[in-house]
Amino acid sequence: VQRAPLLVISGAVAGFAGLIGWHSMAGAPAPLAAPAGPARAAGKPAQAGKAAAAGSSGHRGRAGTTRQPATAGGATGAAGAAGAVRTATGPAENFGYGTIAVRVTVRGNRVIAASVSILSTLEPTSQQISGQAIPILHSEVLAAHSANINGVSGATYTSQGYYQSLQAALAKLHVS
Amino acid sequence: LTATGAGAAPGAGDAPAVTHTEDVMGTIVSFTVVPGGLPATAVRAAVADACRVLHRADEMFSTWKPDSPVSRLRRGEATLSMMPAEVADVLELCDEARTASRGWFDPWAMPGGVDPTGLVKGWAVERAAAVLRQAGAAAALVNGGGDLAAFGAPGPGARWRVGIRHPWRPDALAGIVEVQAAIATSAAYERGAHLLDPATGRPASGVASATVTGPSLALADALATAVAVGSDEALAAVGALDGYEGYLIRADGSEADTGGIGFVR
Repeated sequence: VQRAPLLVISGAVAGFAGLIGWHSMAGAPAPLAAPAGPARAAGKPAQAGKAAAAGSSGHRGRAGTTRQPATAGGATGAAGAAGAVRTATGPAENFGYGTIAVRVTVRGNRVIAASVSILSTLEPTSQQISGQAIPILHSEVLAAHSANINGVSGATYTSQGYYQSLQAALAKLHVS
Repeated sequence: LTATGAGAAPGAGDAPAVTHTEDVMGTIVSFTVVPGGLPATAVRAAVADACRVLHRADEMFSTWKPDSPVSRLRRGEATLSMMPAEVADVLELCDEARTASRGWFDPWAMPGGVDPTGLVKGWAVERAAAVLRQAGAAAALVNGGGDLAAFGAPGPGARWRVGIRHPWRPDALAGIVEVQAAIATSAAYERGAHLLDPATGRPASGVASATVTGPSLALADALATAVAVGSDEALAAVGALDGYEGYLIRADGSEADTGGIGFVR
């Protein structure tokens, strides 16, 4: 069962039409790139025999479904497209290499931008790591938020601090 | 020790969900607690108790701390009978996990002596969640750096929804599952960039990501570690266990699962 990577920037998520752009640390607009299609072009389909062998009672789920990733451009923009633009900043959180605070901007219930308002790191190495990690964190948090989920399994602890700050900022805006 | 991020977030039920993050065990543990009828002060006290459980686990089981009981055990400076009771409990669970994983999880095969690290975080987070349940909270989700223990419902008719990190696409989730009790993901990316294939940017080992769900986070954590090492053979072992399901993403991007993991999508 080959599952296409799940891009959660999807108009199918009730209440969240997806995020169309983020601001980088420097504040310059940095639109999230629309996905270019399945990331696993080189991946071989999962062998049905192995998948079946792994289950004690055969294959039980998601028979024959191959989902295509939804693109950011596919967001309907219906829910929350109207409404006031509001901004809040979450508390500074430990994010592994220092502390981070996330500022988020919503229109209605829709996140339209996030940026880092506070960032302190311990040493030059951490600053370098942060510079690489934060754009990734923006994307990770976007994925989590737009999917309306309660957590991410396997997410690095670095993203947890970012996520906590962002969640608190959203709570201030009464957006969950 | 820092305790930051305490605050209230919207949630279901009479009182809003309470959130808290704790820096412990080399990671960030985040709590989302639905109080139900539990007074706010009792919720705070229960979260503090749960954090104490986590810190105590860190003190006992850290292999990074040379004076921890487990470090002394590993160096042969102490015997099991000299350890806190929890150490014997964890090693018993490790033995069960070794059997359940058909040997793919084996703390006794680690260099430098027995190393229960692959199970301890899940065990500790599971215990932290149990503290909240025993205190009377209606529901909670405890996220220990990507290993999550849950009970109850986040709202009427709702279930805890947990995304599975995509191993090489930060803008994507590999899947979303509804979690009743526990989910753990072990992945090659945790082991460092030197395992990545420079040509593809993908992990060079056979497994990119291994996820296990089930009733116990201690066992799910150990089994996720097992599948990350043992790939399809270990996944088959997970599928044979009552109540446990597994989901494997191989390094080439192909996938397998045990069929009952319950993807929302």
